[in-house]
Amino acid sequence: MSINSIEKFPTYLAIPPLKKDSMAGNGPFKASIEIQKDLGFPGEKVDNWQQVAINKIAETKSKYRSVQVFLDSCMKCGVCTDKCHYYLGTADPKNMPVARQDLFRSVYRRHFTFAGKYFPKLVGAKDFDEDMLDDWYNYFHQCSQCRRCAVFCPIGIDTAEISMAAREIMNAIGVGQKYPNQILGKINKIGNNLGMPEPALRDTLADLEEEIEEETGASVKLPLDIKNSEVLMVTPSADFFAEPHIDGLIGYAKVFHQSGVSWTLSSYASEAANFGMFIGNYDVMRQGALRIRKAALDLNVKRVVVGECGHAWRVAYSFWNTLTGLGSGGSDEYSLKLQNQLDSNYPQPQHMIEFTYDLIQRDKLSFDKSKNDHRVVTFHDSCNVARGSNMGDIENGQFILPREVIKAACNNFSDMHKSTIKSATFCCGGGGGLLTDDLIDLRIKGAKPRMHALKRSEQDNGVNTLAAICAICKSQFSKVLPNYDFDPYMIVSVHQLVSDAIILTKDSET
Amino acid sequence: MSLISIFFTLFFYFSVLIFITGLSYKVVQYWNTPAPLKIPIAPAPLTKSGVFLRLAKEVFLFATLFKSSKWTWLFGWSFHLALVLLFFRHLVYFWPGEIPLILLKTEPLKYAAYPLIFGLIGLLGRRIFVDRVRYISAPSDYLMLLLIILIGASGMLMTFANNHPNMLLVKNFAEGLITFQWSELPKEAIFLAHIFPVFFLIAIFPISKLLHGPGIFFAPTLNQVDDARKKRHISNWAMQKEKNTKIDLDHNQDKGS
Amino acid sequence: MAEILGMEVDEEGYLLKVSDWSIEIANVMSEEDGIELSTEHWEVINFLQSYYKEYEFAPAVRVLTKAIAKKLGNDKGNSRYLYSLFPYGPAKQGCRFAGLPKPTGCV
Ligand code: SF4
Ligand code: SF4
Repeated sequence: MSINSIEKFPTYLAIPPLKKDSMAGNGPFKASIEIQKDLGFPGEKVDNWQQVAINKIAETKSKYRSVQVFLDSCMKCGVCTDKCHYYLGTADPKNMPVARQDLFRSVYRRHFTFAGKYFPKLVGAKDFDEDMLDDWYNYFHQCSQCRRCAVFCPIGIDTAEISMAAREIMNAIGVGQKYPNQILGKINKIGNNLGMPEPALRDTLADLEEEIEEETGASVKLPLDIKNSEVLMVTPSADFFAEPHIDGLIGYAKVFHQSGVSWTLSSYASEAANFGMFIGNYDVMRQGALRIRKAALDLNVKRVVVGECGHAWRVAYSFWNTLTGLGSGGSDEYSLKLQNQLDSNYPQPQHMIEFTYDLIQRDKLSFDKSKNDHRVVTFHDSCNVARGSNMGDIENGQFILPREVIKAACNNFSDMHKSTIKSATFCCGGGGGLLTDDLIDLRIKGAKPRMHALKRSEQDNGVNTLAAICAICKSQFSKVLPNYDFDPYMIVSVHQLVSDAIILTKDSET
Repeated sequence: MSLISIFFTLFFYFSVLIFITGLSYKVVQYWNTPAPLKIPIAPAPLTKSGVFLRLAKEVFLFATLFKSSKWTWLFGWSFHLALVLLFFRHLVYFWPGEIPLILLKTEPLKYAAYPLIFGLIGLLGRRIFVDRVRYISAPSDYLMLLLIILIGASGMLMTFANNHPNMLLVKNFAEGLITFQWSELPKEAIFLAHIFPVFFLIAIFPISKLLHGPGIFFAPTLNQVDDARKKRHISNWAMQKEKNTKIDLDHNQDKGS
Repeated sequence: MAEILGMEVDEEGYLLKVSDWSIEIANVMSEEDGIELSTEHWEVINFLQSYYKEYEFAPAVRVLTKAIAKKLGNDKGNSRYLYSLFPYGPAKQGCRFAGLPKPTGCV
């Protein structure tokens, strides 16, 4: 794709006219029988799937107020229609948030409401038939659960809640998506999404220590399974494996090194990501979170810090306390057991950005900012951090802290257009369990609004570096950037910027 | 009483009955359905008073709608505001016995009919002419707008085009509905066209998208305090599960209950 | 189930069994991707396989680049170079040619 063809695109603010069925299809690969059974779902689509699905809808809406209220309350005002990056990128009307919800809502109306039972045509109620199920599978896997639509809905309707519920219902009838479900199997067995066993992890970390020492002369450690450490660091396993993630991991290690706070990774809980959220399954999500609880107890740490991973931070910040009692304020025996062990002087869990920011505030870190002078940096707010969490316990802290950390390490920072950042940030296009090669076409198209904002920043402000704090965003951008005529290496971890500029104390100096 | 008066009288009670039972049912249902996870949407308030402010801004100013679409906000907000004003304007008819002074001074509120119609026509136009909104609209979405336009238009024709029905009859009929001392209603078609859709909308309120009224107060995205790290928020069903099953941390799973 | 030279592969073209791998399979796979396997490619594939034998897991990209730097020189020990060899990613495409399972996760 050449520069010219990009300029011919409408800007990210322009709304495309509908192109019906432009993204019709079979959806991503389905999970195999073994994968489904591992998670306790039926292996294959059950025979009486319609009945099972209807029952599951009834159960879900009785357990989740969000689902019940959102199904009832949409007034079809349509202001969310142009807020979804997948709609903006594909023009398929079923990717408009309200239309996506309507796939669910029409079935709900048909089977659960008076109007839908007796006047289906009038209120757009539809039977849950094979065609509808196909649409569910296809279009609920074209939603990254980024919640941008929810920010703009006057009633607060969050399509992500609906798409999580829909995936939960599909799993209950034996129709699951391969990518997240296979990964969830691995995390339950091995402890991380990659399926990276402990020896490989240990070896990789040792390799990194060697590399850092060679480069900097400082003996920065990446400890694994060290009991009684102050901090348990839980980070997405992509940080151990992929580029550019791994430079972020090196950044965390350097910050810990400078802070003097003892820390450890855990081979048992070597994953912060929790795809249980993407498939809307409370128990599976809890299972993943329990591994971290166990690691924290076993390693007898005082604090839990979470690395750069968007949805993981939402799960950690918003859900861990609920799921596992990892947080504070619990009064039940179960959560107290952990909460008594953790140091209540710090927020539990804490984000790595909060940890670093705090050190910067207290003047504990020094930087040679000129090391980043070849960069003009912009920051991509990852959806789940931006719209589903907080940092620093100050209002809008999740927008402020990462930017402050970047500015502490870089001289040149410039935000993208304000309609595309902070709570209005555009998804990278690969979140919510869609970061899989079989959805690459969708991923490229869904990245369009973000890419256009970036293009404008490049043209107006010379931005050449895109920093993020999410493993999915980083992988997604590395992949799609070239499609929009960018250098795939312009995407970096925020802690890579920290890593490049931080001044390390050598052992001889201490 | 004439048949038509009996019909409308019964229709009124029927609608109010559905309204009250249906709405209570819905509110109780929302109330009783747990919100198992903290899902406030950014910009999320960190305190209770923040939540209060947020909801107030949404309910009175339609703050999010303003952020999302200025035109829709203009149409939607003027329509809803006019609706409230016109509601007060109509109280005088229903007030039993001596009428408080304030209600006698509501006469100028009748001009709210203009922004009402303006907003409704705008919303209808948007539904018809914006392809995205047309796509998501079901027949009932048009019908509802048309019904309210009918209410507004018939009201305006009576008020501003000198088609007043016998106001004494109106007053007696309306007051009679409240005091159970039923009386004849004016039989002008325009009056009937005014009240029929009103009663109808009251009836369908709890079984239609008009539920966005109570819904907004129950949306966890808007009404939750963003303090998940500080307070343990757990639903009854999850707590029950936790109690029934002792967590087996060695195998890291719930022991069978 | 699809097959390559009689050996079963999954829907994404990865061998189901590591032991089914053969040089011919790597050649067929790379041909389908329009790549001619050079000595450099083979260095990568061989390293992936020997690492996998030891750890039952593919090496992290950083580990791979360092190993390649040792073998082929520092100018080639970086991910840009590896991507030029394997445009779909040294980890994903490399593992496929090497008969190893696809690395999953946020990568
Ligand atoms: S903005 Fe909210 S209420 Fe309006 S159509 Fe979208 S989901 Fe429905
Ligand atoms: S949650 Fe995000 S991806 Fe899903 S419909 Fe809303 S805007 Fe689109």
